[in-house]
Amino acid sequence: MAATLGPTQGAESDLDPSVVEDDPRGTDGEDENSQQTGATTAPQSRLAKLPLARIKALMKADPDVTLASQESVFIIAKATELFVEMIAKDALVYAQQGKRKTLQRKDLDNAIEAIDEFAFLEGTLD
Amino acid sequence: MAERPEDLNLPNAVITRIIKEALPDGVNVSKEARRAISQAASVFVLYATSCANNFAMKAKRKTLNAGDVMAAMEEMEFERFLQPLREALEAYKKGQKGKKEASEQKKKDKEKKSDAEESDKNKDEEEEEEEHMDEEPEVENEAEDEEVEN
Repeated sequence: MAATLGPTQGAESDLDPSVVEDDPRGTDGEDENSQQTGATTAPQSRLAKLPLARIKALMKADPDVTLASQESVFIIAKATELFVEMIAKDALVYAQQGKRKTLQRKDLDNAIEAIDEFAFLEGTLD
Repeated sequence: MAERPEDLNLPNAVITRIIKEALPDGVNVSKEARRAISQAASVFVLYATSCANNFAMKAKRKTLNAGDVMAAMEEMEFERFLQPLREALEAYKKGQKGKKEASEQKKKDKEKKSDAEESDKNKDEEEEEEEHMDEEPEVENEAEDEEVEN
């Protein structure tokens, strides 16, 4: 496959360019992985760090959800990764303001309060 | 599953890894912060699913598809995710297609060799299935193909 294409189209390029943040090495050894689809060791699952079976289980908890395509489960898994990255970075700002190098719960709370996108989290965390 | 949805946590080690990779070296994360982020991630999945499902229902579809999730991200004001998600989806779809072909190829090889070594192809075949919410029959697999890029 040609690897010379522009970065964003992902047309004929290898799997890698668009998923650079994933580490494709070996299995995660996540014993909590109840992979009903057996997707743990196939390279495909390396595109998502979070186990698709667990994501699917969460989605299933919604009584209004009848069926979900494999792709949708994957995309939600991926979006969740991005979300975790985002909230960690945003919380870090508050830790740094407090001259700390350790992210604490209160930094999370501050970020949730301050940032519009996190409004849905208000009142949901223990 | 008799658990509350909120009890379904994502694996701690994976969450921790994602956090660590997002933050600069030398930054630590307290256990409480990690737990809160993990919980927040679960809530995110639930909220995104619900949002995406609304789009599917509006379109009178029973199957939630990738397009619904994208629409949900916009609705939730996570537009910044759209581009990376689209790229990841492309890679994923290609990989799925490649696996299907590889699986079929393996079948052919097996017939030739008449060897029992390819037992892992069963794993590939399982992956072809849709993520059924109920125990729907296999026919739903076709739905995945049509719903693919709305």
